[in-house]
Order: sequence, then structure tokens, then C-alpha cells
Amino acid sequence: MAAVTDVAGGLPDGGEPPAVQLESVTKRFGDFTAVDEISLDIEENRFFALLGPSGCGKTTTLRMIGGFEETTAGIIRLHGEDVTGRKPYRRMVNTVFQSYALFPHLTIFENVAFGLRRRDVDDAEIKTRVAEMLELVQLGGREKQKPHTLSGGQQQRVALARALINHPRVLLLDEPLGALDLKLRKEMQIELKRIQNEVGITFIHVTHDQEEAMTMADTIAVMHKGRIERMGTATEIYEDPQTGFVAGFLGASNLMQADIVDASTGEVVLAQGRRLRVSPGRLPAGEKQVRLGVRPEKIHLVPVDAEIEGNALEGLVIDASFIGVSTHYLVETGAIAQLAVMAQNLDDRRFAQGDRIKAVWRPEHTFVVT
Amino acid sequence: MSAVGREVSSSAPTAAWRRKLVPYGLLLPGGLWLIIFFVVPMLRLVSVSLQTGIYPRYRFAWAWSNYAELVTNYGGQAVNSLVYAFLATAIAFLIAYPLAYFIAFRGGRWKNFLLVMLLMPFLMPFLLRTLSWKIILADHGLLVDLLKSVHLLGEDGRLLATGVAVVAGIVYNFLAFMTLPIYVSLEKIDRSLVEAANDLYASPAVAFRKVTFPLSRPGVVAGTLLTFIPAVGDYVNAVLLGTPQQFMIGNVIQSRFLVVLDYPVAAALSFTLMIVTVLLIIPYVRAAGTEDLVA
Repeated sequence: MAAVTDVAGGLPDGGEPPAVQLESVTKRFGDFTAVDEISLDIEENRFFALLGPSGCGKTTTLRMIGGFEETTAGIIRLHGEDVTGRKPYRRMVNTVFQSYALFPHLTIFENVAFGLRRRDVDDAEIKTRVAEMLELVQLGGREKQKPHTLSGGQQQRVALARALINHPRVLLLDEPLGALDLKLRKEMQIELKRIQNEVGITFIHVTHDQEEAMTMADTIAVMHKGRIERMGTATEIYEDPQTGFVAGFLGASNLMQADIVDASTGEVVLAQGRRLRVSPGRLPAGEKQVRLGVRPEKIHLVPVDAEIEGNALEGLVIDASFIGVSTHYLVETGAIAQLAVMAQNLDDRRFAQGDRIKAVWRPEHTFVVT
Repeated sequence: MSAVGREVSSSAPTAAWRRKLVPYGLLLPGGLWLIIFFVVPMLRLVSVSLQTGIYPRYRFAWAWSNYAELVTNYGGQAVNSLVYAFLATAIAFLIAYPLAYFIAFRGGRWKNFLLVMLLMPFLMPFLLRTLSWKIILADHGLLVDLLKSVHLLGEDGRLLATGVAVVAGIVYNFLAFMTLPIYVSLEKIDRSLVEAANDLYASPAVAFRKVTFPLSRPGVVAGTLLTFIPAVGDYVNAVLLGTPQQFMIGNVIQSRFLVVLDYPVAAALSFTLMIVTVLLIIPYVRAAGTEDLVA
């Protein structure tokens, strides 16, 4: 097929072409740049999440891959084949829409069969495939019902079945769980993950929910102002967010300004002369000042007179709240006004408001952001 | 204390009663209106249609022969009514659907302006609007000359005083009744449904056929009924733009009632018109299957 000859252009090292490849893709609406020169390779069989706040360009990126939005510049390849400018109905991708977009005048069966009918699959095959697919999403026996008779979670599964039945090479999910309540959302997260394992195709999932992205995705791209700020596994991004935006968007973090004392040992100094250590590799070369961050759950509180290895800041507990699984403290230190600390309730040693303590964490838990 | 207790126990059933009565109370004005101005006159119409005699002395006599007059004397006008109304509805639909589609899907910020433009002609008196068609369709008017020059119309062909003129008048006068309901049902359609159809390999034409059009059906049914029903009974367009050759059943009823003062036959014709219209509509609405969409 033409696709095979086309492949070479999209291949850096001669292996399998990535399922989805974006090359400097840009989308402008008038003066507003929604997506700003994004380049991205998404490998086969990945569960890939585009994560970001509303207006960051994640949905626009997804819509360009689906063909619903034309690119202003750049190239989109699906399995090495250039599909830029190709209409949605000529792309081997399918979409699960945010509002599900089930056809209200058709039965569940006809909704799921819609794509197969367009490709002239014969009736007998349609029947077996729809039955299989409804079984996969646990909706067997609902064939004759209309969408509005189903609950939100069930409608969501119909939308998924309607897309998956076509065996797309890439499945796009636009905030698919946004309209569900918390409990159902948790269930569907596990369900989606299971289905993706079972069908083994690339899922690209747009969400603004960091927890959702971390639960499901193998790879997360955090988007901000039309660009990808950080891409990696959930662990990589969480432990080393690299930018202030990512550190704040994914979980909570304490950020502080520091001067570099010795880049080779990773020694830095905070505003009031407190010395800390960072993994030397994380310090940017040639900079004098950096911003450091540490996650609240990485910090331990110990009595002020305890002798402890690692980074330590003395301070005063200004707030302590017990919330069951953990206790949250706010600590006033000279260097940072309010250091957030989250301590698991593993032992009886709790501190109260007004206690003088030492906040301690390991140097390798300190990350550097720009 | 005991006084309060008594009050509570005595007011509880009345409150429940009141709640039961409220829906009927709300129905009352409309219900009375319908009974006084529809049911009673309708019964009266049926009873008049069975009278016999000479004006002004009519008496009730089970005169079924009044109904036979439709077939024996006014068959031509009845056929005109059905044919013109059917053609006008079909043509109005063909004009209105693309128009409504354009306003709903492509209107953007001009939507309201375009809708106002659509209703603008209604600010003109009905009579003037219809009479203007006389000028457009006149024998030596621009349109006729143009059609003659391209040989769509014979040397002595004319538009005015023909069925074409009557149908054109009806189409024009009822176009907004066709367009607005279709517009409303198109406007309501979630755009992501069309995107979903495209996503599932439906080309724009197929997406229209399988998704957009079926979802706009309630509007199509409402629009065609709002056009067809008044068009069947219309008589003004035939009078102004046609000749007695083009007269419709409405013209007969009008002259029987107001000129000849033959109330029984006029009543019989009116009642028959109504029954025939209802009989035509029921299978149409059934076939269009709008019940599913209302749910």
C-alpha cells in the first residue's frame, strides 16, 4: 500500500513507525496560538495521556489527530503515514467524545454498529461483533434500548464500544470520564485500563485530572500554554517535574529560591544561609540561582534537637491537622514562610501547633525547577 | 395548644385536596376556551351540515345529500386543493430546509439577523404581499419575458392566472411556517453528533442522511403540517393569483357561506375538509415516527 512507501519519511532509526507522530504541529485561532509547535512520538500500544488545565491546547491537539481541526502548520503521521489534512472519516482513528455523542435516534445496537455499516460489513458479522463488543464493555442484552435509557456510566461504555468495534489503530479519548461522579470515575479508570490491555491499541487520553492521568497512562505529557512542558512516566514527572508549572499542577510541592554554592557536590544555600544538598546532576550548568522543590510527603518532622543526616530546616509548627491517613503540618521556617509537610500516621510521634521542630528530607528528594 | 393541633388536623386534608385540584384548575381556562370556541361550534357545524331548506329557513333533516355535493359538484376544486397544497408543501420544504440548515449551522453571529429577515415580510399586510406576486408574474413582466426568451414558456404562455401562480403564492405565504420549526430542530442538534458520525467513517453526505436529517424530523413534520393544513383550506391565493379554474375548496366554502348563503352545504364541505385533512395527516405522522424523538 501507499502507506509503506510513505513510511520512510517518518522514521528516524528504521524501526516500527510510532503509532502517532506529531512534527512541529501548530494551531492558531486568529491571534491565539492554541497549540505551539508540538513534536511528539507515541509508540504502539501505549496508554498516553495529554494532561493540562483547560485552555492548554490538549483538546485541540487531540482534535487535530482526529481530523476535526485543521493544522495551521506541521505534520501528523499515523503509523508513518502522513494524514495531515485528511478528513476524519478517512482516518483509522476513532474518538470517544466528552459528551459521548451517542446518536439519540438509534438503538444501542445501531450506535455500536454505525462504523461497521459505513464500511459495508455484512449483517451477520456486524451482529457477532456488536455482541462481542457489548460483552467487552459489560452491556450485553441492552442492544434494543435507546441511549437515553442508560446511565452516564453505561452511555460512556457504549461510546467506547462504538469506537473500539472498528479496530482503530489509535483511540482518542476526550475527557471521557469528566461527566461521571467520583466513584464511577474510579471504576471506569480501572475498566479503561483493562480494556486497553485486552485490545492492545494505542489510547490517547485527554484529561485535566492528574490523578486520572497517573492511574491510567504509561506516558503523560503535561501541556501548558500550547506546549508540552514535561513528558514521561507518572513517576518520572512526579519525582522530577523540572518546571514550576508541572510541580504545581501534579500534586503539591514546596518551592524555594536558592543560590548554588558548589555545583559539583550539589551544595546550595537558601535565603537565610541555610545550606541544603541536591543531587548534583539536577543542577543546571552555568546558573547561579535555582528554584528547588520538595514534595510534602517526602519531609519528616523530628524534634528540634535530633541529630539527622540530610537536608534539614528548623521551624515552628503553625498548623497541624489530622485527616486519618496522614497528618498535615504547616511549618514556619526562616527560609520558607509555610512549608507543607504530610506525615503518615505510622507512630505516635505527632507534633502540635507551637512545637519547635526540624523538617528533614533526603537530598535526592529535592528537585530543581525552572 | 389544642387550637393549633385542631387547625393542623383540619387543614391537612384540604391542602391535599387543593393539590389534587390544582392541575384541573390550570386546565380550566384552556378547556373552557376549547369547549366554547371549538367543540360547541363543531357540533353546531355538523348539525347545520345535515339541514335542508332555503335561506333563511333551514331545518334539521339528516340531509346526507349535502355531503354528496362535494363529489358531484365540487370535485375539481377538491382536487385543486389537494394538488396545490401538496405541491406547495413540497416546494416550500425544498426551499426551507437548506435555508434553515444554513441559518442553523452556518449562521454564526448573523443567526438572529437572518431569522429577523425571514420574518420581515410578515410585517407587510398579507394582501399586499400576495398582490405583489401579480406584478412579479404579470403577463409582460420580467419573469414571463425571461422564461419566454429561454423557451421555458410558450409564445402565448402565462404564469398569472394559472396553477403555477397559485402554488407560488401559497409557497411564499407559508414559507416561514415551514422554515422556523425546521430551524429549531436543526439548531438543537449537538454538533458533536455530526463529528461522531464523521469519526465513524460517514462522509458529510452520509452523516446528513443518517444523523442530521433523522434528528431534524420533528421540525420537518411540524413544518409540513403547518404548511399543508392551512394550504388545503386556503382561498385567498386562488382568488388573487388564479381564475375560477384554479379555485380551491376554500373558495367554494367561502362563496357558499357568504355569497349564496347555502349554510348546510358549506358546513358539509367544511366538515369533510377537516376529516380528509386529519385522515391524511395521521398516517404521515405515524410514518415519520416522531414519537421516538420526543422521548
